[in-house]
Amino acid sequence: MTASAPPDGPVIELRGINKSFGPVQVLHDVAFSVHPGEVTALVGDNGAGKSTLVKCIGGIHPIDSGEYLFRKEPGGEPVPVHVGSPRAAAALGIEIVYQDLALCDNLDIVQNMFLGREEKSGIVLDEYEMERKAAETLAGLSVRTVKSVRQQVASLSGGQRQTVAIAKAVLWNSRVVILDEPTAALGVAQTQQVLELVRRLADKGLAVVLISHNMNDVFAVSDRIAALYLGQMAAQVKTCDVTHAQVVELITSGRSGDLGLAGTNGNGNGARA
Amino acid sequence: MKAAPSPEEIRRHNLGTLLRHVHLSGQASRAELAERMGLNRSTIMALTSDLTAAGLVREELPRTRGRAGRPSLVVRPESSRVYVLALDVGADRLTVARIGLGGVVLARGNAPRPPDPFDPDAVVSELAGQARRLVRAARPDTVCVGIGAAFSGIVRQEDGVVRLSPNLGWTDVPFGAELGRRLGMGLRVSVGNDANLGALAERERGAGAGLDDLIYLHGDVGIGGGVIVGGRLLGGEGGYGGEVGHMVVNPGGRLCGCGSRGCLEAEAGELALLDAAGRRGPGGREAVAAIVDAADRGDVAARDALHRVGDWLGHGVANLVNIFNPAMVVFGGVLRDIYLGAAAQVRSRLALAGLGAARERVRLRTSELGEEATLMGAAELAFSDVLADPLETLVRGKNPLP
Repeated sequence: MTASAPPDGPVIELRGINKSFGPVQVLHDVAFSVHPGEVTALVGDNGAGKSTLVKCIGGIHPIDSGEYLFRKEPGGEPVPVHVGSPRAAAALGIEIVYQDLALCDNLDIVQNMFLGREEKSGIVLDEYEMERKAAETLAGLSVRTVKSVRQQVASLSGGQRQTVAIAKAVLWNSRVVILDEPTAALGVAQTQQVLELVRRLADKGLAVVLISHNMNDVFAVSDRIAALYLGQMAAQVKTCDVTHAQVVELITSGRSGDLGLAGTNGNGNGARA
Repeated sequence: MKAAPSPEEIRRHNLGTLLRHVHLSGQASRAELAERMGLNRSTIMALTSDLTAAGLVREELPRTRGRAGRPSLVVRPESSRVYVLALDVGADRLTVARIGLGGVVLARGNAPRPPDPFDPDAVVSELAGQARRLVRAARPDTVCVGIGAAFSGIVRQEDGVVRLSPNLGWTDVPFGAELGRRLGMGLRVSVGNDANLGALAERERGAGAGLDDLIYLHGDVGIGGGVIVGGRLLGGEGGYGGEVGHMVVNPGGRLCGCGSRGCLEAEAGELALLDAAGRRGPGGREAVAAIVDAADRGDVAARDALHRVGDWLGHGVANLVNIFNPAMVVFGGVLRDIYLGAAAQVRSRLALAGLGAARERVRLRTSELGEEATLMGAAELAFSDVLADPLETLVRGKNPLP
């Protein structure tokens, strides 16, 4: 890596990942790395394999072949891990926030954040401790839009729900947070809040993967951009080195100038360059 | 060469340093203070008891439970008792706030833009009226220790004279002295350029915490800049430096309020965006937010306007990055909305026009203090006296309103 890379390298490193569903090969030899303290944007057209890749990282789909390396301690050596279930991913500190958020409308913020992993004191739930931790996590993310942590999720706006879902993901000392289209159904003001929150997560030292279709969101907060093209990793580049037009080309044709896949049979002719 | 500092000077310095730590971190245990200041615990104890006696800080038991051993007392600022008046004079609004030690906003008033913002008298009396209302509403045991104002224009800091404000049309107005006279609180009114103060506030409490090389760009009607290089605010010979809004990015371009053409603020400011989107009517952040919103909903004119303005903003940022090689560029005011709405254009232009070595590590961020950035900067300016010499300033500050 160049001198500008953070002192300790990627927390997750995938090499040569292949994944098929029956006769359909979805991921071809994909390499992908996620760095702590950075937002890595994962972009690609519909069907490029973004969700499949993320689900492989999160242990929902087992990979067919390839190496999955994880750095368990900052500064340590990456070791091959077998992530065969979402529970195994969570144990490593990998949390995924899905587009539908998976929050329960009829529960309040604290109950949602601790759902299935409640704190207990003796045999009863330690409501005080959970409330304190939830409030602390939200405050640590500088979330000021939520009035009370005992508010029902049904009463929250889209942006606030997204905030709660993200806070839920970081509550568990997680090291990698993967966000699937977090700004998809939001208005502009709420999109801005969520983008700033995503940025803050990375600035606190977490490794963040952002899946997005919105080039503007990608450029606003990401440090690296990984572009998938028909199941292959076209390029993983630093955001400060590329332009909007180049990324669009990578998404639509798999290559742009010297970037991208060698030998794609040029159905993208670089008209936007 | 100066002789060694006297014990009295050392004590004053230590009191100020300790108060600054507590002011910036909100609270700190005696043990933490001892470690950060490199002093032993008994000195810290003596200093905190002086400050406690003066009513600037208080000590209490920490709230968290847990570790074994006698807990170290936590020192907190007396936020509700010791406060400053912070004023923010933007081109389209006036804000006055009472801000407590530790940076807590105790009360605030948003004065509407006076009917004639070009009349300094109207602005000063509106501000003075708001400020007096806030001071009167404060509890009688509170004390005001300073007054600071952020002004969108070029300001001579020593005496608070506004040298030039193209967007308000002021030239050589003794704003600080006049405001101090109207308030009649016996306190000096310190005045600073709003973007400079925003830069300092973001460095002390916001996105750029701890960074020594930082550029803060503040979008109001114009674009102001605060440039921090090597931990110090770039002032220049007269303290008027850092006016990056008047950097020419497009020679022969749009006419700027300063009389030149193609300045950054003329091409990438609020007015340029409104014009490019074909919007008429009042400006302000609502108007900018409306354009970003329209662009998001697919309004082609709004999107093109945003892209064009974002591209010019990118030119400006690229120039600044090439010249100063900052660790971070922070977008505040309406530039926050413009950056988040046109980040792809800003960063693309930076990738094309920025030199590789200068831009490879620069981080682009939005203001963490948001709307409060310039106001908090004004508060920090107002607190600077009490932080330099806590006890003396407190004695001077005990002047009730006449």
